[in-house]
Amino acid sequence: MVASSGSASAGRSAGRLAGRLNAPRPALVETGPGATPRVVNREHVTLVREEWRVVDRWWTDEPVDRHYFEVVLEGGRNVCVYRDAEAQCWFTQNA
Amino acid sequence: MVACLLIPGFELRAALRARPRLALVPAALAPDAGEEPLLGPVTAAAEAAGMKPGMRLGEALATCPSLVLVDRDPAAVEREWEGVLRRLEDAGFAVDPVEQGAVVFETRGVERLYGGVQPALERALAAVGTAWDPRIGAASRRFTALAAASVARPGQILLVAAKEEEAFLEPLPLSLLPMTPNRYAELEGLGLRSLGELAQLPSGAVAERLGVEGRRAQRLARGGRKTRVRGRKPASELVEALSFPEAIANELTLRRALSSLLERLLARPERAGRPFRKLALVARLVDGGSWRRVTTLRDATAEVGRLRSALGPKLQELPAPIVELRIEAVELAEHTGQQLALVEPAGEEAVVRLREGLRQVRASTGTGSVCAVVEVAPWSRVPEARALVVPRDD
Repeated sequence: MVASSGSASAGRSAGRLAGRLNAPRPALVETGPGATPRVVNREHVTLVREEWRVVDRWWTDEPVDRHYFEVVLEGGRNVCVYRDAEAQCWFTQNA
Repeated sequence: MVACLLIPGFELRAALRARPRLALVPAALAPDAGEEPLLGPVTAAAEAAGMKPGMRLGEALATCPSLVLVDRDPAAVEREWEGVLRRLEDAGFAVDPVEQGAVVFETRGVERLYGGVQPALERALAAVGTAWDPRIGAASRRFTALAAASVARPGQILLVAAKEEEAFLEPLPLSLLPMTPNRYAELEGLGLRSLGELAQLPSGAVAERLGVEGRRAQRLARGGRKTRVRGRKPASELVEALSFPEAIANELTLRRALSSLLERLLARPERAGRPFRKLALVARLVDGGSWRRVTTLRDATAEVGRLRSALGPKLQELPAPIVELRIEAVELAEHTGQQLALVEPAGEEAVVRLREGLRQVRASTGTGSVCAVVEVAPWSRVPEARALVVPRDD
């Protein structure tokens, strides 16, 4: 008789399925006046190059309502972040 | 329904098959050399003495001086697990092994044969045998089935109806989720204890705080996705073994034994001219333990010289003198020959090399590891809807 060695194995259940490319990743964003990003992932924003909204799939159970910002960070990197109006949080994504 | 058959502490059970006496005394699987000194699975007697899997070795020996440490026996584990899988396959189940001691299969194909889900699962338990204390969980989703099997008693079949899945998962511990120890600590620090508590949190907040891993864990805590179970491709049975009258450690003798085994393996008619893609070298050590190394060949080959140079260096890793050497053909290539061209078209070599490289990756990491990007809606305004990463097994 052998006692259980724990059941962490249960977690290895996810099968190998088609995955999404360019899925959004959660980002830490601090906003300034006008709700524009001021700090993205602990790096200061030097320039907001562009902003736009994407409202789509409002007729489905998973509506999309995002406010995108293309920003330039202190280090010179170009980053796209958006605020999801449904989830009320920020994500980064290559738009 | 998706069913999960679980044999907790399989590694220890398999190692104790040759020493059944130890199953009745406080015993635990010893850590591997070079690994962190933590206990593996423990016997019931050891558990009664306060031992727990994952306990520090020093602490365990101080608490229970009579604790017997059982050496790992990877060859026996592999052999016994393959036996369990084959018995299930003989009973008609298309199995998808999760790890040694846990296997998932669908009952749909055999329900009519055995007269329902329950009789089919009883047949699966009987096929494995009571000596292994198997238990089965079944549900409409894979994760719920695995969770049900984790809480079932030995010999029990726990069926979870689709509408009860949420309520069933709710009180179960977070340890069922595949997360790093740091994440568990983080969740516990936040006061979360059960799957239900994690499932109830807002998805956005979980994603923001715990990232992709947290989102995946939460999806599982809510039951996970409905996925199809794909039966495995049974391993080949091409094995050649050589037993020695006395223990040997001499490299020259070992290399000669390997050459002889390779020649015997190559002469087997079951190979039907196909070259080897993956081979395992197994040895029985003089002290009763075993040793196993799996090698994926860069090019599938049936040339003795190349096989010898790929497997020969592995013999230097043997930790002790051996009394038996065995070679197993884990995977054979599908082709029997390669058509050569007098003048190869430009770029052809790169394509062939790429295809061969992908085949090697697939052979060493399993199906689904090689993916292709497929554009599904390049016009979409939602960036992640434009393309998918799809597993390629062709």
